Amino acid sequence: MSTLLFRSGTSWLHRANPLTKLCGLLWAATAAFVLPWPAAFALAVVLAAWGVWSGIGGSFVRRLLLLIGPLAIALLVIHGFLMHYPDSRAFGPLAFSFSGVIHALRILARLAAVVSASFLFVATTHPADLLKSMDANGFPPGLSYLIASPMLLAGMFAMRTRAIHDAQRTRGLALDGSFWTRLRALPALLLPLVIVGLLEANQRALALHGRAFRALPRRTVLDPPSDSRGGIWARRFLVLAAIVQGGLALWR
Amino acid sequence: MALIEVTDLTFGYGSAPLALDGVGISIEAGERVAILGANGSGKTTLAHWLAGWLPSQGSEATRGKVICRGRPWQDWPLAERASFVQYVGQIPSQQLSGQAFTVRDEIAFGPENLALPEAEVRERTAECLAACGLEKIASRDPFTLSGGEQQRLVLASALAMHPQLIVLDEPVTNLDPAGCREVLTLLDALPPSTTIILLDSFPRVAVQIARRFLFLNNGRILLDGPAGDVLLHPDAIASLGLPNAAEAAWLAKESGAWNPATPIPFSIEAAIAAFQQVENAAR
Repeated sequence: MSTLLFRSGTSWLHRANPLTKLCGLLWAATAAFVLPWPAAFALAVVLAAWGVWSGIGGSFVRRLLLLIGPLAIALLVIHGFLMHYPDSRAFGPLAFSFSGVIHALRILARLAAVVSASFLFVATTHPADLLKSMDANGFPPGLSYLIASPMLLAGMFAMRTRAIHDAQRTRGLALDGSFWTRLRALPALLLPLVIVGLLEANQRALALHGRAFRALPRRTVLDPPSDSRGGIWARRFLVLAAIVQGGLALWR
Repeated sequence: MALIEVTDLTFGYGSAPLALDGVGISIEAGERVAILGANGSGKTTLAHWLAGWLPSQGSEATRGKVICRGRPWQDWPLAERASFVQYVGQIPSQQLSGQAFTVRDEIAFGPENLALPEAEVRERTAECLAACGLEKIASRDPFTLSGGEQQRLVLASALAMHPQLIVLDEPVTNLDPAGCREVLTLLDALPPSTTIILLDSFPRVAVQIARRFLFLNNGRILLDGPAGDVLLHPDAIASLGLPNAAEAAWLAKESGAWNPATPIPFSIEAAIAAFQQVENAAR
């Protein structure tokens, strides 16, 4: 529930500092928009290979293909055969365009690089390590809370939703059947969930207050992920490179 | 100086009838106090005031105040207050931080927020894991624990703050008998310097922890004293009932099978001793 995409392991990537990996992800995401598309595609392949080498191969590649595969087909069909380009040539009811295919590949390569980098990050980074790393590096506790709480509370809300669903059904509310039946039942399911959510948010805020959350600007962190001077400099370099790349991408 | 002094506290939620109506209590350090009342008597509201959760913005007291160690809660810096008082409520899942991925991290969360030295955070965490019997599940996700385990975790997290005052709001309501016993044993083992205020609907829980009893009815404190004075009062019996041991003795007294000189027992141990006395007298 709390670590949806994480796959445990002992690879270098698993042991690397989460913030350094996050900066790497930022760099890869911006690089994908600056590099020529074959290079962006190569970057995606390198990242995917790195994932396999890090021991997260099976699920990592499967997820990547599941996400990118349908997108690739859709992009190639739309840009290669359905949209009109100056070099479009008619083939019966369809029109094939080589520049349309190239455009689809450009978009696909960028997406593949960003998605590969993101999957690589979440599959090798336990959320708890990311939070500890953020705390250890002086990020505001509120920011790490914003990241952690959805992951931790999602399961609890799923349970609440099931309970509300069962309660409403017991009271005779029709929840199954046609699309319209389900749509009509939606307010009766959503409203209690929102109310319970708001009440719980208030209780949790009080509980956090009671445990001195954000009482002091810094907090102690037990067992923070290992860090090094080299890692700190690598982060600075990656963030700087990402800013330059982002600027270049926008300028072009 | 009293540890906590509540004076003429009057408070309500919007247009609803007053939740607290002129409540006045003075509690000394190290006291073990039970505030008993039926549902809707104002227990949780009073618990929130005692733990410093109230007043919050937009919910000031209509009248009266709560002074702790000579200062109103509003004057306490958050870190100091969290080290001084801890609240344990009846729905443990709502009291988890939502920030910790393991039981160990959940317990360490509070001491970490106080920026205590790492060694002390470790020591407190290990101490509370052991005290609350959570060592075997230290690496589990807090949200996957059973209700009883979660309640022990909430208690462990509260104890890790080394509070001088613990406010317990129906802490065993949702627990099975074994879980209830574990929590009560844990509370009983707390250092005598720790002040405990228990708010509950059931005298059978309260008699195992408290030495002083208050009866809260419709937001007012009606009775204050030892178990014999408060729990045997007709209003309290009508509203709260009696612990099993006391009820058996009470019925025996009504039927004339009880030595009037023997005080009504409230715990099982006291009841066994008292019934033996009655039996011996009959021989």
